[in-house]
Amino acid sequence: MINLIEAVNQALAYELQHDETVIVFGEDVGLNGGVFRATDTLQARFGEKRVFDTPLAESMIAGLAIGMASQGLRPVAEFQFMGFMYPGLNQIISHAARFRNRTRGRITCPLVYRAPMGGGIRAPEHHCESTEALFAHIPGLQVVIPSSPARAYGLLLAAIRNPDPVIFLEPSRIYRLYREEVADDGQALELGKCFQLKSGHDISLISFGASITETLQAANQLHEEGISCEVIDVASIKPLDFATIAHSITKTGRCVIIHEAAKTCGMAAEIMAQIMENCFAMLKAPVQRVTGYDTVMPYFQLEKFYIPSVTRIKSAVYYTMEIK
Amino acid sequence: MTIFYLPDLGEGLPEAEINEWFIKEGDTVKKDQPLVAMETAKAVVDVPAPQDGTITKLYGQVGAIIKTGKPLVEFNHASSSIVGQLEEHPDIALQHINLTNRQPELPKATFTVKKLALEYNVNLNDIVGSGQFGVITANDVLSHAKKTDCSRETLIGVRRQMMKTMQLSHQEIVPVSIFDEADINHWQKPYDITVRLIQAICYACKQEPGLNAWFKHEEKQIFNHVNLGLAVDSNEGLFVPVIKNANHLDALRLRQAINSSKQGVLERSLPPENFKDATIILSNFGRFAGKFANPIIVPPMVAIIAVGRVFDAVVAYQGEIAVHTKVPISLTFDHRPLTGGEATRFLKALIEHLEQ
Amino acid sequence: MIIKTQFQIPFYQYLNQDGELSSSAPELKDTDIIKYFRIMTLTNIFDKKAIALQRTGKMGTYAPINGQEAVGAAIGMTLDKDDVFVPYYRDYAALYQRKVRLADILTFWGGDETSMTYSFQAHDFPFCVPIASQCLHAAGIAQALKYKKTSNIALCTIGDGGTSEGDFYEALNVAGAWNLPIVFVILNNKWAISVPLEQQTHCETLAQKAIAAGFQGVQVDGNDVFALHHVLQEAISKARDNLGPTLIEAITYRLSDHTTADDASRYQPKNQTEEAKKFTPLERLKTYLLQENILTNNDINQITNDCTQEIEEQVNLYLGRKLPTIEQAFDFHFATLPDYLIEQRAEALEEFYRAND
Repeated sequence: MINLIEAVNQALAYELQHDETVIVFGEDVGLNGGVFRATDTLQARFGEKRVFDTPLAESMIAGLAIGMASQGLRPVAEFQFMGFMYPGLNQIISHAARFRNRTRGRITCPLVYRAPMGGGIRAPEHHCESTEALFAHIPGLQVVIPSSPARAYGLLLAAIRNPDPVIFLEPSRIYRLYREEVADDGQALELGKCFQLKSGHDISLISFGASITETLQAANQLHEEGISCEVIDVASIKPLDFATIAHSITKTGRCVIIHEAAKTCGMAAEIMAQIMENCFAMLKAPVQRVTGYDTVMPYFQLEKFYIPSVTRIKSAVYYTMEIK
Repeated sequence: MTIFYLPDLGEGLPEAEINEWFIKEGDTVKKDQPLVAMETAKAVVDVPAPQDGTITKLYGQVGAIIKTGKPLVEFNHASSSIVGQLEEHPDIALQHINLTNRQPELPKATFTVKKLALEYNVNLNDIVGSGQFGVITANDVLSHAKKTDCSRETLIGVRRQMMKTMQLSHQEIVPVSIFDEADINHWQKPYDITVRLIQAICYACKQEPGLNAWFKHEEKQIFNHVNLGLAVDSNEGLFVPVIKNANHLDALRLRQAINSSKQGVLERSLPPENFKDATIILSNFGRFAGKFANPIIVPPMVAIIAVGRVFDAVVAYQGEIAVHTKVPISLTFDHRPLTGGEATRFLKALIEHLEQ
Repeated sequence: MIIKTQFQIPFYQYLNQDGELSSSAPELKDTDIIKYFRIMTLTNIFDKKAIALQRTGKMGTYAPINGQEAVGAAIGMTLDKDDVFVPYYRDYAALYQRKVRLADILTFWGGDETSMTYSFQAHDFPFCVPIASQCLHAAGIAQALKYKKTSNIALCTIGDGGTSEGDFYEALNVAGAWNLPIVFVILNNKWAISVPLEQQTHCETLAQKAIAAGFQGVQVDGNDVFALHHVLQEAISKARDNLGPTLIEAITYRLSDHTTADDASRYQPKNQTEEAKKFTPLERLKTYLLQENILTNNDINQITNDCTQEIEEQVNLYLGRKLPTIEQAFDFHFATLPDYLIEQRAEALEEFYRAND
């Protein structure tokens, strides 16, 4: 039984073993094994040429990956926290996302940028970011957020094997939260597919990342109260598997979307827009969102009031179910 | 592995003796759980676990002296990282249901083609697109429209609303219908039958206001004004624009209101306000065929008048056989708040007004 | 107190401003010198032609190279074909020698991505507009070349203004820390749009920024092909021999607007530009070639005519090119078209082909 961080480690090790073009680098990922131990033991197993530390410079990390990818390597670059990806945004947005397009396929960027994301680990400020919507908005990027060890393993394999850039965001709050059996068989999951975690017929709860935890808890409690919830893990924020969401809405007619990221222009807004475009007639009630507030994530004394709680989720469900 | 070093147990004490272990190697502990009792020069102090984890090594037996700052206990899995604390708490089932039957992708078409599909009543889900990447083309829609001997249409918009209203009416209202005819042979041509009908209805509402009312939550709300809902048929469905305060409008203004309602429906230019707050409905359904009907009352209203096809009939008039022009009137009322007496008196007043 | 370290920055010049070659100049074959002259002539004529195309509405904004032709020429002459060149956006002389068609360069400024397909030299990088970001790509490339145990190197160019950017420093730092097989070339034309070098930095030389990254920086007269050739050759073989990176600062002068959308007369002092016009690399080399009887005036005219004709052909290629179609915006987005783009692509095609009917 392994947890999510170990699943990440397992996937990295598998690819390093089976694909000699895979390179892993970032700050403190070598001897130290990463501040969350994501790359633990990898340098010892695969050597300093394949797993190494970089100087402290995030734009550099992003740019190096691009240069390496252009030469036929598959870099998996780590940013220590999502909040420190920002200096690298120029490289990611202006280059990684565009090289294939602007050279008409001559130069491509088969790379993965990994970073821990989200709050709830009592970390200092800037270590709790959930700005996946920024990346989802950029044409040329793919964005993946796993919610379980098994999905982290399968999706990271898929991300590394993908011929185009993937932003792989790991919710740090659930790094060690659960353990499950994850066979180290190198089987990748598909990018661009949602996962149904629970089947139900009264309402569809759509979420991703660490919020899956509270969503499942809410769903279980609501089940006891006679409300049957279907729970969908989006997993691939971009490309979004809307067909699965649409199928769920057709079944239930009601929907609440949950994410830790701030409300305005968050992923729930995009999903709602697509529900509006495609499932309008199926809806029995307007879609609701339970999200982080449009404020800065508070320091850890208050962070649990920011993160969508089971109470808030149930509240939204009760309201949605009330609409006739 | 993380080593927990003996902290200063008070005012710079240099060392302490292990008095009693509360845990052993292999135990899993939670943060703040007491690990060991240490005896100092001054007292016996319990030392709590600094974090969650599993104990992998104890650095001494009972009686051993440990210097302050030296190893005391070793933990497996630093569950704190360089920043923050990660919780361990197996709780939720996370496995996904393996969807071997992935949902088919949604049909893909440009707005132009989607509109065409609506016009031709073609369901895009029934078509396999022949365009690049499976996009549905205009040709796909047109050839499908020709082929199918039935068309399928999910009710949306106005038709869907009608469906819901009818269902609701059927669920709640207890309808009774009364049928009669008005003799309009004496009307001078040209006549504006709709205006006369509305005027007659307004007169009848004055005589029996109980039918110009709303009934909901067991409460009757009788109105002084008549907001006349005029049923108007169109390609997109049934619309009921409302002529507000019809009882205060003269014939000319009534005709104007009728015209602008019909035009507005045709052009879909009427704002939502124009469809609200009807107190009674007139349905002039007889344009094509039909004499009598029991039309559906729209809650929370309690009555609806339906007028069928104007016809010539053989009548007994002053003891002689004659051919007169007549108009068939149907009144459906909700028998929950209204009696048959109220309804028939209403109908009598209506017909009298028409026949004057 | 002890001095921990000191540094020295050498400056190289062999062919002076009057076209006189120093006796200590390294050997350069006549054929190579003539090649230099031809390439710079071609670049100079191309440059004028490109500006004319922009001014007549046949091309978009363009970044001129007038007076700075030598650096690109020298890069093209010294870099191996299997090395990876990472340009910024004024490197026409180098790109031309690395088999990028002049027509493609015009197509880039003409607003079409097809230009960057580089029909012949698949591994060079395309133009780079976000300033200095190409330096990190070059570092990543160098790291990959080293990892793959090739004997190739990466060379990137950057302007004087670009050396103020964070990415430049980060690239130098990692190049030094990892001993990368890389050469950085600064085209110091003294102007970053309207900001003169004196306002850009307090450093006496840009070359010394390498010292902060732990490797050698050298200054060279950027209008002297002999010095450029020498310095580049040394830096390139040093990198190839795994002896580490070099930062080359080539000093020249921008005898043009920053781009055709700029008006340099608003800020470049007239006396300065007039002085600089006398010492362009082309003028200097021409003087030398004539003085040494390596070329006659007739030869020079012949070369000029040949170049003009070659450019005409490329311009015609450009003007007669097939314009891009909207599918290309979608079909090269990812390796396979993602589902969410299928409908959008259809919408775009519908409008594009209706408009083009």
